[in-house]
Amino acid sequence: MAGILKPPGAFAVTPHKVSVCILIQMYAPPAMMSVPFPFSSVAQHNRFGLYLFALTKSCEDILEPKLDELINQLREIGDVLYQWLTDQLISRLSSLSSPDDLFNLFSDLRAILGGTDLSAVDDEQVVLDPNSNLGMFVRRCLLAFNLLCFEGVCHLLTSIGIYCKEALSSCSAYELPCLDDSSNELEALSEYENMDLENIVFEKVNKEIEARKKASEEVSFHLHAPKALFGLVEDIKVSAVSKSQGGDKCREASPSAHAPNDAMREFDSISGAFLRTNWQMQGYLMEQADAIEKHGSSFSLNAFELILRQLQKLAPELHRVHFLRYLNSLYHDDYFAALENLHRYFDYSAGTEGFDFAQPSIGCNSFGRYEIALLCLGMMHFHFGHPKQALDVLTEAVCLSQQHSNDTCLAYTLAAISNLLSEIGISTTTGILGSSYSPITSIGTTLSVQQQLFVLLKESFRRAESLKLKRLVAANHLAMAKFDLTHVQRPLLSFGPKTAMRLRTCPTNVCKELRLASHLISDFVSESSTMTTDGAFSTSWLKNLQKPMGSLVLTQENVSGKDSNAFQFCAQPSSIPGSVLQLVGSSYLLRATAWEAYGSAPLTRVNTLIYATCFSDGSSLSDAALAHVKLIQHLAVFKGYKEAFSALKIAEEKFLSVSKSRILLLKLQLLHERSLHRGHLKLAQKVCDELGVMASSVTGVDMDLKTEASLRHARTLLAANQFSEAAAVAHSLFCMCYKFNLQVENASVLLLLAEIHKKSGNAVLGIPYALASLSFCQLLNLDLLKASATLTLAELWLSFGPNHAKMASNLIQQALPLILGHGGLELRARAFIAEAKCLLSDPSFSVSQNPEAVLDPLRQASEELQVLEDHELAAEAFYLIAIVFDKLGRLAEREEAAALFKEYVLALENENRQDEVDPLLSTP
Amino acid sequence: MSSKESCRNELRSAIRQLSNRCLYSAAQWAAEQLVGIEQDPAKYTPTNTRFQRGSSSIRRRFRTNDITSTPVAGVSYVSTPVMEEDEVEDSDFYLLAKSYFDCREYRRAAHVLRDQTGRRSVFLRCYALYLAGEKRKEEEMIELEGPLGKSNAVNRELISLERELSTSWKNGTVDPFGLYLYGIVLKDKGNENLAHTVLVESVNSYPWNWNAWSELKSLCTSIDILNSLNLNNHWMKDYFLASAYQELRMHNESLTKYEYLQGTFSFSNYIQAQIAKAQYSLREFEQVEVIFEELLRNDPYRVDDMDMYSNVLYAKECFSALSYLAHRVFMTDKYRPESCCIIGNYYSLKGQHEKSVVYFRRALKLDKNYLSAWTLMGHEYVEMKNTPAAIDAYRRAVDINPRDYRAWYGLGQAYEMMHMPLYALHYFRKSVFLQPNDSRLWIAMAQCYETEQLHMLEEAIKCYRRAANCNDSEAIALNQLAKLHHALGRDEEAAFYYKKDLERMEAEEREGPNMVEALIFLATHCRAHGRFEEAEVYCTRLLDYTGPEKETAKIMLRGMRMAQSSFPPMDVEHFPP
Repeated sequence: MAGILKPPGAFAVTPHKVSVCILIQMYAPPAMMSVPFPFSSVAQHNRFGLYLFALTKSCEDILEPKLDELINQLREIGDVLYQWLTDQLISRLSSLSSPDDLFNLFSDLRAILGGTDLSAVDDEQVVLDPNSNLGMFVRRCLLAFNLLCFEGVCHLLTSIGIYCKEALSSCSAYELPCLDDSSNELEALSEYENMDLENIVFEKVNKEIEARKKASEEVSFHLHAPKALFGLVEDIKVSAVSKSQGGDKCREASPSAHAPNDAMREFDSISGAFLRTNWQMQGYLMEQADAIEKHGSSFSLNAFELILRQLQKLAPELHRVHFLRYLNSLYHDDYFAALENLHRYFDYSAGTEGFDFAQPSIGCNSFGRYEIALLCLGMMHFHFGHPKQALDVLTEAVCLSQQHSNDTCLAYTLAAISNLLSEIGISTTTGILGSSYSPITSIGTTLSVQQQLFVLLKESFRRAESLKLKRLVAANHLAMAKFDLTHVQRPLLSFGPKTAMRLRTCPTNVCKELRLASHLISDFVSESSTMTTDGAFSTSWLKNLQKPMGSLVLTQENVSGKDSNAFQFCAQPSSIPGSVLQLVGSSYLLRATAWEAYGSAPLTRVNTLIYATCFSDGSSLSDAALAHVKLIQHLAVFKGYKEAFSALKIAEEKFLSVSKSRILLLKLQLLHERSLHRGHLKLAQKVCDELGVMASSVTGVDMDLKTEASLRHARTLLAANQFSEAAAVAHSLFCMCYKFNLQVENASVLLLLAEIHKKSGNAVLGIPYALASLSFCQLLNLDLLKASATLTLAELWLSFGPNHAKMASNLIQQALPLILGHGGLELRARAFIAEAKCLLSDPSFSVSQNPEAVLDPLRQASEELQVLEDHELAAEAFYLIAIVFDKLGRLAEREEAAALFKEYVLALENENRQDEVDPLLSTP
Repeated sequence: MSSKESCRNELRSAIRQLSNRCLYSAAQWAAEQLVGIEQDPAKYTPTNTRFQRGSSSIRRRFRTNDITSTPVAGVSYVSTPVMEEDEVEDSDFYLLAKSYFDCREYRRAAHVLRDQTGRRSVFLRCYALYLAGEKRKEEEMIELEGPLGKSNAVNRELISLERELSTSWKNGTVDPFGLYLYGIVLKDKGNENLAHTVLVESVNSYPWNWNAWSELKSLCTSIDILNSLNLNNHWMKDYFLASAYQELRMHNESLTKYEYLQGTFSFSNYIQAQIAKAQYSLREFEQVEVIFEELLRNDPYRVDDMDMYSNVLYAKECFSALSYLAHRVFMTDKYRPESCCIIGNYYSLKGQHEKSVVYFRRALKLDKNYLSAWTLMGHEYVEMKNTPAAIDAYRRAVDINPRDYRAWYGLGQAYEMMHMPLYALHYFRKSVFLQPNDSRLWIAMAQCYETEQLHMLEEAIKCYRRAANCNDSEAIALNQLAKLHHALGRDEEAAFYYKKDLERMEAEEREGPNMVEALIFLATHCRAHGRFEEAEVYCTRLLDYTGPEKETAKIMLRGMRMAQSSFPPMDVEHFPP
């Protein structure tokens, strides 16, 4: 009812709980010695206890298991015990024929609980500690039973009858000695029922069950659903609507048929189903939320939506369901459903349910925490690529959190805004944040976007630190590292004494921030979230019952040590929550990115590999895909395209439906580069266009994609010798990068411009660009890019003629260590060729005296270029080799080199001429 | 339209048949229509027509054109033969069962009829079982309510009933009443398409069962579904269409149908109440009030639809009339959701919001899908400044019926109250989408855009313009439009809207600060553009008001005259060539 928050987690007695109680009674029968009767060893007894514990805690589903499922699980516990346990369970369940039997059962149950004073009890006796998990469970059941009214007891009795009958009728395979017995008793039960108020009901129900059995060959759907969930890839690609239509059509065609349509099946499966405890359901929902986030769009939309719909029907007051529906539709890019569900969730819950960081004690009843709604809405808009709306909403969230002095939410909101600012390109500073945000306005509005971003990060960090929000602190460290990576810090104030600042980025800062972020794991011990770990542990334990090893272990006698090993192996309770692992994992990814920027290929590779091996199971699939992309790119640069493409095949299979765009993007990149190298320009242009289409059309969104597309466009034009067009594209790209403050990209655009001028034979014009790029690289510590800029500069000098060969040679020698250490195949080959050219054009150098000084680099270059399939450069290398051999007079070798040269030139021309579609592109 | 006499005969036998099958509410409805047919004054003494007198006065007052004289062209009504009872003589078992049924002992009734094969007995047995199941379901719903509001109680008779009825449907041994029962069973089981077919079959073969029509109506959730139904042309179809149109918010179409029906059933209380409902949705409160006064005079113990009357009284702030109505329904039947709602309205009008919430809650206890009670309770919580509770209540209304624009509007208002204009806009957008002709919604949306936080004036202007186009009764939009344009420095537009506003105020003879504001702007504007004569007119009008504006006007007038005298217009005639 409106305005009244129901007390969470009222506990109802259900048939399943009754059978668990009976099992607990068998586990700890009163007045028995250390190992009670049917159990042959302590280990066996413990395993049974663990199983019971898992039963009360697991959160793998929303519904309680049926009796046959329970019996199946018991079978896994042990073959010897199975018969005895199930016999006992079924006979005791079916002997419940009147309300009084239930009363007796529960009063017997009281006896297995020990008193509060445990010291008085004999050590050898099995007594259930009332404060243990199982003891608490029994006590809650007792309490709930005592609170039941007479109607409630009658209902419980009826549902126990259905519960037993269903199991017995469905699995006649069980060879149960007491089967006849129990069915007699069930008849007696139904006779008793006849005396009761609902005389015919029971028979009807039985008929109903039989009818259902006949009607639907398939098991009722909740048995299937979890499997479908974890089967991930096989999604049911049928929307609920079309399904029901299909059902109805078949109905109309043969009106008498008992074909179950959608609604009916739902109806059937609900009757006689009981929800698990509130705690278990919350755990289930949390796990599912994690799974959605982790698997993204590959998470099965419809199967989960069906479960949620059922849950909503069974528990209309459990508002978290709406949030899960929001998440589900968010990750499946259903904007309208996401918006609708988000609003619905916050309308009902007022933001007070289910957020770890909302302290419920502070006046949530009078105000509600709607600022969280705004925060979520803002992040949703960001996810869908609506930066303008996202910013508006987040600004409102800032105002509201300030009004309600919700510092936690404010810290998160600021972090979200800074994330937004760093991801999207914003050219103008005016009107970014509303006038009401004080920290910004107090400094003044003249700040650039970057400076604002910096202030926001600092602000969010300060708050997170003071509120001890560990995860946020770590996330802020990462964001700071990202900021430091690409931005030069300038003093915020334009007046006052100017401190001398080195205008460079600070790699040490990046490193520091990254290290601090990783401290999260050690910090995490203090934060408590027992609920998820407990539940997750129990769930995975129960799931592993199906593995054959469980029973194997138990049949052996001396297995206590082995048993625990096996158990640890199959269900390792991880004390670190997934979100923390994810954060730490992303710090490694960021490390890899940082090294990529600074130009150390081996370190990039190492960090990516660490991520892929240690964090891949905890990470979201899109992050995992990113790691794979990085590794494949590394392969392409260092080992050539053949290997890269074979690796790509594997990755494509692995991320079949996930983060399609990232893998697709990589494929396009590789295709583009390869066709550029081979000289297949039409294909290159086509691929490049496709790449450009992938970016969103909204200004400021997908900036990296847009810059990359036009960079590649310019390079394609350059390869086609359309210099002025290429220069025009590069110029406009430079303007865009300048407008959106993309400094790193600027450096590479400048380098490209230098290349364009170099190739067009306008070396004089090229030099300033190369120098500018060089200074950018120096500013941002982009070492590898700097080396390649130096190389270009050397090539430019070289083209001025032999007089400048010395100068060029010096430059190359400068860059060579880095290039040889970290550079890819192309860069190295270019360096070798340039070096050889320098020597060849140096008048003081004579080939005949020291032929190896020239031949050695050229040979290396030619080998690498062959791997890379770069026809143009390879042709050049062989040309030079042929000339050298010619000078040396080694004619046979000269002919060989000349033949290779001819082959590559012809290949280049062929590729240029032919218009066939690349086989890799045609078979996506 | 078939003749009045034939209608009367059909209804008379239908009432008998319906009550034989214990379909009491349908029989009641039919009986109401029966006495609603205009009596032939020649045949009856004045006492017989006495209680019909009142309603005719409404007809005189509100009928503008005589619709009955223009029947819909080309419609030929099928005449469905009145069904003959197959069991002429009632069996003793049937009589016993019916008496049990009348005492609400459904299972006993069903048991007595277990071996009877007559169609009527079979129907009665099935119907009794169905009702027994429903009764048990209601009880279980309370018994089984879980901590999270779980209510999965089901009618346990549905499965066996469905099996039996579908078999007899297949064999063709089922009568229209059995079809009706089959229809509701299917509907309860969620098999709506088949339910459509079965119910249509039922009403085509026996059109006088209003229950079947209403079930069919509740299945028609869109105009497409309604149009796809294959219905025989019977005069009952007009009733059905009228109420289905109403459900689909096609109020004018529905009104036309009802007025047409009134030609025959001129004294039907039912039709009057439905007309009132339609008029209420069209916000014609005066007419609604008159209709309800008449209705109460004819049928003083009526509770149905009285909550709407109370809404009208609330809107018109008639304290005593509302309290009188509340008292009356309270004495008639206090445990009706409508009664509780009326009392809640009364307390709300008195400003006692806590008490009013208590009564709305009671109404919702009695019927938790009572849409308007949720919305009204939301309003009360808003008054009590308990926004989360208000939001919850509104949201429940919206989830019951997503087309309830009032609840969407309420949600928007609640969020606006909490200074979340951007968030509120989502809800206002929903509500204007559903009700694009309501100026209040547009104005609320515009005010949202106008807030200091958002300051999206262009959007606000667009909204105000929409509001001004929808006959803004409170005349806020024009003034705001003018102000906004003025603030944005677009004086021409501002002048245009001020002038419009001025004309409107003149037409409605309203005075006030808006008038002064408009006049002073127009005066300055005209003077600035050199239209001195116009400016003078405005200034002179300003002189009628007191306050600083009067002084300003005087100064302006003086200034203009000075300007005109010092620079006399160049007259060509003064300088002959």
